[in-house]
Amino acid sequence: MPATQLDNERTATSTPESRAVVRIVRRHHLLVRYSHWLNVPILLGLILSGLSIYWASPVYQHKPDPLTGNSDPIADVGIWICAHVPGLHQYSSPPDWVYNHISLGPGMLAVALRLHWLCAYLFMLNGLVFVIGSAMGGGWRSLLPRRTDLRDASKMFWYYISVPVAKLTHRTWLPPRFNTKYNALQRAAYFSVPGAGLLSVLTGWAIHKPMQLYWLTWIFGGYDKVRIWHFWLMWFFVLFVVPHVILVLADGWDTLRSMIVGWSTRTKRSKDF
Amino acid sequence: MNLEDKISAVEPDKTSSTEPVSSRKPASFFQERPPLEIEVAPQLLRLWSRRDLLLFGAGAVAAVAAGVALLPQTTLKRLGIIHENKNWPRKEWLLNKSLRIDDDVAEALYSSDRLVPTYTKSQITPLKNNYNGATPDHSYIPEWRLTLEGLASGLSISLSIRNLLASFQLHEQITRLVCVEGWSAIAWWAGLRFDDLLRAYPPMSQAKWVRLESSVNLGPWGNPDPYYVSLDLSTARHPQTLLATHLNGHPLTLDHGAPLRLLVPVKLGLKNVKAITKITYAAEGPKDYWAERGYSNYDGV
Repeated sequence: MPATQLDNERTATSTPESRAVVRIVRRHHLLVRYSHWLNVPILLGLILSGLSIYWASPVYQHKPDPLTGNSDPIADVGIWICAHVPGLHQYSSPPDWVYNHISLGPGMLAVALRLHWLCAYLFMLNGLVFVIGSAMGGGWRSLLPRRTDLRDASKMFWYYISVPVAKLTHRTWLPPRFNTKYNALQRAAYFSVPGAGLLSVLTGWAIHKPMQLYWLTWIFGGYDKVRIWHFWLMWFFVLFVVPHVILVLADGWDTLRSMIVGWSTRTKRSKDF
Repeated sequence: MNLEDKISAVEPDKTSSTEPVSSRKPASFFQERPPLEIEVAPQLLRLWSRRDLLLFGAGAVAAVAAGVALLPQTTLKRLGIIHENKNWPRKEWLLNKSLRIDDDVAEALYSSDRLVPTYTKSQITPLKNNYNGATPDHSYIPEWRLTLEGLASGLSISLSIRNLLASFQLHEQITRLVCVEGWSAIAWWAGLRFDDLLRAYPPMSQAKWVRLESSVNLGPWGNPDPYYVSLDLSTARHPQTLLATHLNGHPLTLDHGAPLRLLVPVKLGLKNVKAITKITYAAEGPKDYWAERGYSNYDGV
């Protein structure tokens, strides 16, 4: 329908109370919102089952601790938590607190593997839909890093670091100006996440089928190295989520709502932008 | 008032249809397209937000319910979600389904022509005996026989290790054994090809599976714990599937399955059954020790 015709029709039927309007902008496509939220339970399932699988044969080992008999650095983290968090002292021995509480629990390899495959296939399906949808809709362009991003990202980084100080001292502290959907730091983060997702899938297949897909295992430096890749890619997601959630909550309700409802009141004309 | 009517005029300099079709081309391929901006009544935005938040909440509840349904009972008990065992019908259905899909993918990836990588002697790593049960007393070795059943001839064949070593050519290979637990070991094996045995004693025509039984059949306290695995016939015919007799240039030790073990590098270590006593060819998929304990049945790597 031509624009002018639509405008005329709407003007003709509009009533005085509809004049109280709020200007909103379509922030996130349905595809982005769905794939974003589906990743939450899927990644949680992958990490929990993955940690149970890791525990069957830990990659990182040291000489057994004479006191606890433990030789796994992740178990050391659990021992440390138990020793320093009140109310957890009784768990410090045997040294499996971290695995009992941040995985499916001991002796769960078969269950963990089935859960891992289920979540992995859902993760791949979700990722494939996102990639195809973004390619067809052109949404990938707003994620693509630009030449000026290194400078802009450091500006944004210093803004994020110093904004709590500015708030505490009641000083006005304006964010760096940009006229793209995401700032440079966001682009770096949101471009890396699908990249890390792809690498997680590739390293996962390289561990899962090291004989039929031996060339894939070879690319990542062999069977033992590819487990280390996969392990640290898990940590990438964990370390991404922490500032991601903090910054969304700090940024306010509108940002969170835009990922659920899709619309944002922060338009180009609005003052709070 | 119609909801549509609450959406009022769109920026005049932009196209106003719900699809942001821009008439002018972006200055560069990577330039962001202007997002759709509209003006709505505040109550309409509230209505949309409420509707989508309810949907979102329903999705979150469904995800939590699915998580509770899929997690093992011992995990839920430790978290304090349930206090006694509860049996949901078809609880394992989805997990088993994903395991079968994964097995089908593994079978599709398998090719009898694709050889696994081989290594040099300098790359050999220590190989641990990962068997939790008691290693049987070596007294079974002098009387050890390999029984073949399900043959085309209809006969039951019994072979001694001397028969096997005398009538089949030994092949050497240095390959990696991958365990389901995540560790692996490169070892130097020698043995006869399973394919050669299949040629010498052909299985019945309708056979698709091999059932292998082992004399490593004791639990941790010496209690009976029979070990048996299933293997698809196509994998048994792979040129690198050996009935191994030697490890690191010496006859197999008791720990590693003397006098004859399966070495199938295209499968997980748990299929590489030690001290084989009986091979039975079957049309239907035989029972498998680890599949009965929740692992996959195909186990291709």
